[in-house]
Amino acid sequence: MAYKINRRAVVKGMGATGLAMPFLNAATASAQSGPITLGVVTPLSGPAQLIGNFVRHGAEIGADYINANGGVNGREIQLEFRDSKVNPNDASVAARELIGAGANLQLGTISSAVALAMGPLLESEGGVVITSGAGTDKLNHENYNPHVFRVGDSPVSRNAGLVRHIANSRPDIRKWAGIIPDHEYGRTTWKIFEATMRKVIPELTGEEAEIAEPVLVPYGSGDYRNYISQAMRLDVEGIYTSVYGGDAVTLYQQSQPFGLFEKTDVLLDSANEFLVATAMREQTPAHWSGFHWYYEANKGNPLSDDLYSSYVERTGDQYPMGWAAEAHAAIMAYAKAIEKTGNTDTMDVIAALKGLSFDSATGMRHIREEDNQAIKNAELAFIEPSSSEDSGFAVTDYVSLDGEKVVEPARPGKTLDLSTL
Amino acid sequence: MIDYRARFRSNLLIASCGLAVFAVVPLVANSGLMFLAGLVAINVVFGLSWNLLFSGAGLLSFGHAMFFGGGAYAMAVVSLRLPELPFLVGLALGAGCGALIALIFGFIALRRASGVYFAVLTLAFSELVHILITKTTFLGRNDGLVGVPRPEIDLGLFRLDLTSATAYYYFIIVAMAAAAFALWCFQNSPAGRLIKAIKQDSVRTAFLGTSVFAWQLTAFVLSGAIAAFCGAVMVPFTQIASPEIAYWTVSTQPILFTLLGGAGNFWGPAVGAILFGAIDYGTRAMHGLSEITVGTLLLVVVLVIPGGLLGFVRHRRKKTRGKAKASTAGDTGARS
Amino acid sequence: MYDIGMTVFNGLAWAMATFLVAAGLTLIFGILHILNFAHGGFFMIGAYVSYSIMMAFGGSLPLWLYLVGAMASGIVVGLLGWAVDKLVFRRLRDVEDAYSLIATYALLLVCGGAVQLIWGLNYMGVMPPPALNTVVFVGDMFMPTFTIFIILSGIVAYIGLEFFISKTSTGRLIRVVAADPWMAQLLGLNVKKIYLITVIFSFAMAGTAGGLLMPNQSLSPELGGIFLLQAFGVVILGGMGSIRGAFYAALLLGLIESFGTYFFPQYPGIFFLLALAVILLLKPEGIMGKGQTA
Repeated sequence: MAYKINRRAVVKGMGATGLAMPFLNAATASAQSGPITLGVVTPLSGPAQLIGNFVRHGAEIGADYINANGGVNGREIQLEFRDSKVNPNDASVAARELIGAGANLQLGTISSAVALAMGPLLESEGGVVITSGAGTDKLNHENYNPHVFRVGDSPVSRNAGLVRHIANSRPDIRKWAGIIPDHEYGRTTWKIFEATMRKVIPELTGEEAEIAEPVLVPYGSGDYRNYISQAMRLDVEGIYTSVYGGDAVTLYQQSQPFGLFEKTDVLLDSANEFLVATAMREQTPAHWSGFHWYYEANKGNPLSDDLYSSYVERTGDQYPMGWAAEAHAAIMAYAKAIEKTGNTDTMDVIAALKGLSFDSATGMRHIREEDNQAIKNAELAFIEPSSSEDSGFAVTDYVSLDGEKVVEPARPGKTLDLSTL
Repeated sequence: MIDYRARFRSNLLIASCGLAVFAVVPLVANSGLMFLAGLVAINVVFGLSWNLLFSGAGLLSFGHAMFFGGGAYAMAVVSLRLPELPFLVGLALGAGCGALIALIFGFIALRRASGVYFAVLTLAFSELVHILITKTTFLGRNDGLVGVPRPEIDLGLFRLDLTSATAYYYFIIVAMAAAAFALWCFQNSPAGRLIKAIKQDSVRTAFLGTSVFAWQLTAFVLSGAIAAFCGAVMVPFTQIASPEIAYWTVSTQPILFTLLGGAGNFWGPAVGAILFGAIDYGTRAMHGLSEITVGTLLLVVVLVIPGGLLGFVRHRRKKTRGKAKASTAGDTGARS
Repeated sequence: MYDIGMTVFNGLAWAMATFLVAAGLTLIFGILHILNFAHGGFFMIGAYVSYSIMMAFGGSLPLWLYLVGAMASGIVVGLLGWAVDKLVFRRLRDVEDAYSLIATYALLLVCGGAVQLIWGLNYMGVMPPPALNTVVFVGDMFMPTFTIFIILSGIVAYIGLEFFISKTSTGRLIRVVAADPWMAQLLGLNVKKIYLITVIFSFAMAGTAGGLLMPNQSLSPELGGIFLLQAFGVVILGGMGSIRGAFYAALLLGLIESFGTYFFPQYPGIFFLLALAVILLLKPEGIMGKGQTA
């Protein structure tokens, strides 16, 4: 899909509000009537722009939906976008600038590093952020901060959910290996995978799971062949991978001649959604992927249907990915919270968000009071190559797991306790 | 003969004007813009430190991020793990960290001081530092270190409370002014002039008995120390140290500032940093164009006005002065 | 035995892929004394052009299309090189090296942005042509045929370039100009034309390398940066302008990196850099000795 420069956004960006904003003081901007401005700080350039685009569309569609249905207490939602460049420094500058101009309620954080940085910042500057996909477990554990909310999966619900589903449907697969990116997200997801697998397999089969040492791969590298060779030496039936984005495509691509995925029965992908399938088309290896939101699984939910059809209309792309729904859900959460409090003050909104149940594209979500983590359905889909589809792939199975069953207990301020999985 | 007194006075005037503008920002703009202005001030000195090496010593460094990041992380670690250490000591440690990195890598890189080799080696070393940071657990690996506190400086007689962003902003202005002053003094000192002589003709200067290698290393170490100082001052402001500040794209910033403003003038990097800050801010809500914008801008500047803005201005003034003199004197314009 | 064998094999693969990218880089470096940052960008453009050619012919990649596509990418990028020489390099001929370096860096950014605008942000994964997408078994080592092809391509490229530089008249002219451009001009050689030929040839090599390596990894606008640092290291170590040096440096660094990650898999990417630092510490002129060109 060719990149389209949204003229509307260009004009908006250069508009009078943009230029005048530096000289507005917070007091004048956050009047309690008139439009509500929500700040969206998300990668709008650089390698993560692909994801940032989904966030942008999801947020805009969410705002349009709310405004079309009467707004929030009659007030319209407006969005101010800023580029986080996946860089905590740039993101924090953007966040501060938005707060200074009155947009103290923000969303759109994708990068875990940025999400962790937001807490102390928002606490001292006075603001709230709802993340749109940051996957670190520290967010609702040792780095818990009341000003940061996660309305999406925690890495536990996502990965433990994935594991439980596979273990339940294929308990014959006991020998597992992992190909893990060598950074925080990779290591955490592996820990969760291993702990859950080791717990569930004996429960189901009475036998132990055999889990090999994971193969740690670099990220941003062009050549994974050494690591693939390593993986080939392992005697495994299933492979779990949390390698991300372009690296995942390269990994799968380079694995093909080795036949790594033919050797194994099941391939679990933590979070790539359609990234790999759209890249590799009919060469995609058959795999399960965790999704923030899979539209087919939520057909019939008016929010989901509206999100899907608006997205397709806007972009012509048939495969929206879950980050759009996360941003969309953040808008829904803010809308309901502001409706409850009647104003946009930071502390009031925080109080309203805690314990809030709201409707989203994946059904009802409930934000836990203790650790600001939402309980929502964990969605997985099975993607297979398909010669009959234009895109080269098709989803032949999917599942939406009850969030209550897969989320970890709340332990704000403490590290993740794997024994509770 | 260069009239140093006059030069000092004119530079002091420029610096004072700049300081005044920065000092006024918190009073007229909102906290977001003030925050940006603080970062611009840090970028100014970051650029000046780079230009010390480039224009002052003739060495092109593509790896200044390692100093900036090194100083920043040193400060973050000290603030978080050793809170009993006074803040100023932390800053000194940050600068020292940069000096050490410069010493080690400069020693290797300067043996092959041919411009391009040196540049690529600094790039490679900077990448090495970046990778090491992401692999080190006590530096927070990929997530970095968050929640770095802002200090209260105890100066015996009274305490300076820098916990608010505004107070710390003023501290930044003062600290950066001091650093810029130090840089200016160095570049106009005998040592600075010697290093400039090495840049112009290293063979001749070697014949005069100076150790080219030692002086280039000195310039590199000083440049690295000041760049690290900038990083160290920045961290309590933003309250995070993440691996992105040691990534090679940060190294390209002082290059951009210097070239935009003009490498030939001491204040060139300052002009460039401020201008770039303004452009970056002006386009902040326009998404997806930054790479191509920066690239094209840099390309145009290098091809059309390699002297940067200040060089361009000076060129025009020479021209008009030359024209005026020619029209009055009637013969070839006086060289100014 | 399997392990050592596979590690050597993978090291060779890294080495030859990097050499394919670095060959053109070292040529421009030796002749024009410009370290062309944009080389990575044009390599990437070559890969994307070859991708578009594949899509134009229906989206599958038979062997003939793969090779023709790589050649075509070479031509396209070579033409781009002509434009770049005219617009950028020529103006920087008499300016300090530093400005050329910065200009090529700016060019790299422009390449990245252009690729994004033209081909979009999405990742794309292209499989090698079916004829090459098999595996060869030797004992208990399995070696993907495509990787063998890349290794062979690197070796063929090396032999071809060595021959070109040392035996052909154009090659000799290039060496003369590299050694002493002023003298060459005095002797009546058209130095400008030689420079132009070198630039076009170097860019064409980048483009061809891009086309050849397109099925090697995923395509994304970051591709330029991935190979760049590796190529730089190889060129620095191998000596300015020395094709032979680049070849040996690539082999050395490839094997070091491969064995390094075999023994210490948690530190990918570091060994290559450390090796660079250590070797340069011991032998600052690079492994080929003093400024030998081509």
